[in-house]
Amino acid sequence: MDATAPILKCNKLSVGYGDVCVMKDISFTLERGKILAIVGPSGCGKSTLMRVLGGLDEPMSGNCELLGVDLSQADTRVRETTLRQSGFLFQGSALFSSLTLRENIEMPMREFLKISSSQIRQLAEYKLACVGLSDAIDKLPSEISGGMAKRAGIARAMALDPEILFLDEPSAGLDPLTSERLDDLILKVRESFNTTIVLVSHEVPSILHTADYCVYLDSDTATMGAYAPPKDFLDPKSHAKAHSFFSRAVTTS
Amino acid sequence: MSEKSARQASISTENQTGGLTIIKIGGCWRIDQPLPSLNFKGDNVKIVNENLDDFDSALPAWIHYNFKNVRELDLSELPNRLQSLVRLAEKNTQWKSEDEKSDLLEKFGVWGIESFGSWGRAMDHIGQTSSGLIRTLIGRSKVNWADFTLQLQTSGVDALPIVALLGFLTGLIMAYVGLIQLRQVGATVYVANLVALAMTREMGALMTGIIACGRTSTSFASQLGSMNVSQESDALRALGINPVEYLAVPRILAVTLMIPLLSLFATFVGIFGGMIVACAGDLSIDQYLNQAIKAITFKSFLVGFIKSFFFAFIAAWAGCYRGYVAQRSALGVGDAATSAAVLGITLIVIADAIFAVIFNLYNF
Repeated sequence: MDATAPILKCNKLSVGYGDVCVMKDISFTLERGKILAIVGPSGCGKSTLMRVLGGLDEPMSGNCELLGVDLSQADTRVRETTLRQSGFLFQGSALFSSLTLRENIEMPMREFLKISSSQIRQLAEYKLACVGLSDAIDKLPSEISGGMAKRAGIARAMALDPEILFLDEPSAGLDPLTSERLDDLILKVRESFNTTIVLVSHEVPSILHTADYCVYLDSDTATMGAYAPPKDFLDPKSHAKAHSFFSRAVTTS
Repeated sequence: MSEKSARQASISTENQTGGLTIIKIGGCWRIDQPLPSLNFKGDNVKIVNENLDDFDSALPAWIHYNFKNVRELDLSELPNRLQSLVRLAEKNTQWKSEDEKSDLLEKFGVWGIESFGSWGRAMDHIGQTSSGLIRTLIGRSKVNWADFTLQLQTSGVDALPIVALLGFLTGLIMAYVGLIQLRQVGATVYVANLVALAMTREMGALMTGIIACGRTSTSFASQLGSMNVSQESDALRALGINPVEYLAVPRILAVTLMIPLLSLFATFVGIFGGMIVACAGDLSIDQYLNQAIKAITFKSFLVGFIKSFFFAFIAAWAGCYRGYVAQRSALGVGDAATSAAVLGITLIVIADAIFAVIFNLYNF
């Protein structure tokens, strides 16, 4: 794939579940190495949109190209290869509870990389060290805190050096200090790996700190309300609902 | 760069005066390709770029793994992005408060406290269950009748087929073994006594108890463990409802009511199973039944019934207790189910041994 080509491209995308369309007419382009935040009121379809962008669910109509591949049209082999180049952090971290953190990180490597066990071990230790979990390497997910589980989830999502990371509410349920540290970690991951990051968040200060672009989903019209750098939404002349969403959160915080 | 022209990752080591080791890295370092191994002992290392083509996290991972304990590590001549990737894995004090390591003494202390705590929790659960049962029986506490009737069905009626099969086979096996041995002394008629007595006093209750551990205890542990995971138990507590009383009491009541009946059923089916073998051998149906009726007394039934009542309580309590203390994870629920079966069967066998001694002492 051309290094300058957009890594994510949506055109008139509609998403939903079953026969219910929750969001339509979503069009935007995201360049490599950028951080995109998806924001909007609760229940507007942020996570649903991200699942479609990440290729976990099919769009209802329109198309979405991830790394230059339209996943809804691609055959299984191409689809799986493309998905392997993306990493996903789920809301509840979704760590495999019967495996230690190291084994959680090693699992995708053992599945897809034909390299020695010691090399896999090196990589897993490095990825866990990157997220500050060197000391918890042999712990089970049940033995660590929520913040640590999020970081371990990020380390697992980074296991295969993905081109793009999808983070579903990475700071949900975390205290402000841990949330801020997680934001710094996200920025460091982007800076060091040049990874493109798409995240769903409700936390406006965190979005203003990390994101380059922001998609605001308007639940009233069930369409994409605006697509702009998040700081633009602080301007009263910007999209009214997005401005209200951002300014209220900033005032409160 | 293209895949085909990529050179293999390479290293060369050069020892300088003053203990400095220079490591030259070159080629293409990718996570899907084998990397060179390094046998290295030193405290002062400088890594330099010697025709490094391309790299992903394989190279910073290799550097992190091999040089994490080195006192002086100079990366200044490496590309900035690589330096930043290695720095990312450096011990980060900002997370330290969450990741504190415990030493051996602390681990031992934690183990001691947890072991003591688990006994305490078991005693607490027994106490809460007993008080809940007493309060229910004297009418001072409401029973969750919906749960109670559901458990009568699932732990009682639904278990009939498996209890019938295992009871039948137990009687059949005992009769078969007994017949072979008793034939040698010409006393095959006593096979009926053997089967009837063993089933009424011992095997009916024991087999049903073990089946209850396999079916009911594990089911209770999974149900209550899952409720722990989804914080339903906390929700009950928040509503001012004692979860032990609300969840465990109807289950234990239902099981202690149904298991003695199932045990009785298993006893009769076992005697019938023995009859099939005995009649296929040397005995007639009349002979077998007459002999069996002569052998069984009311006392034998009472012994089996008392045992089955206690076994039922043990099986139900083990399931409820392990579910109540299950860890809040999928693994925790699985562990709870396994340990409920193990705990239940172990306690039932221990209780059976105690009963054997007591009944023997009192010539019961």
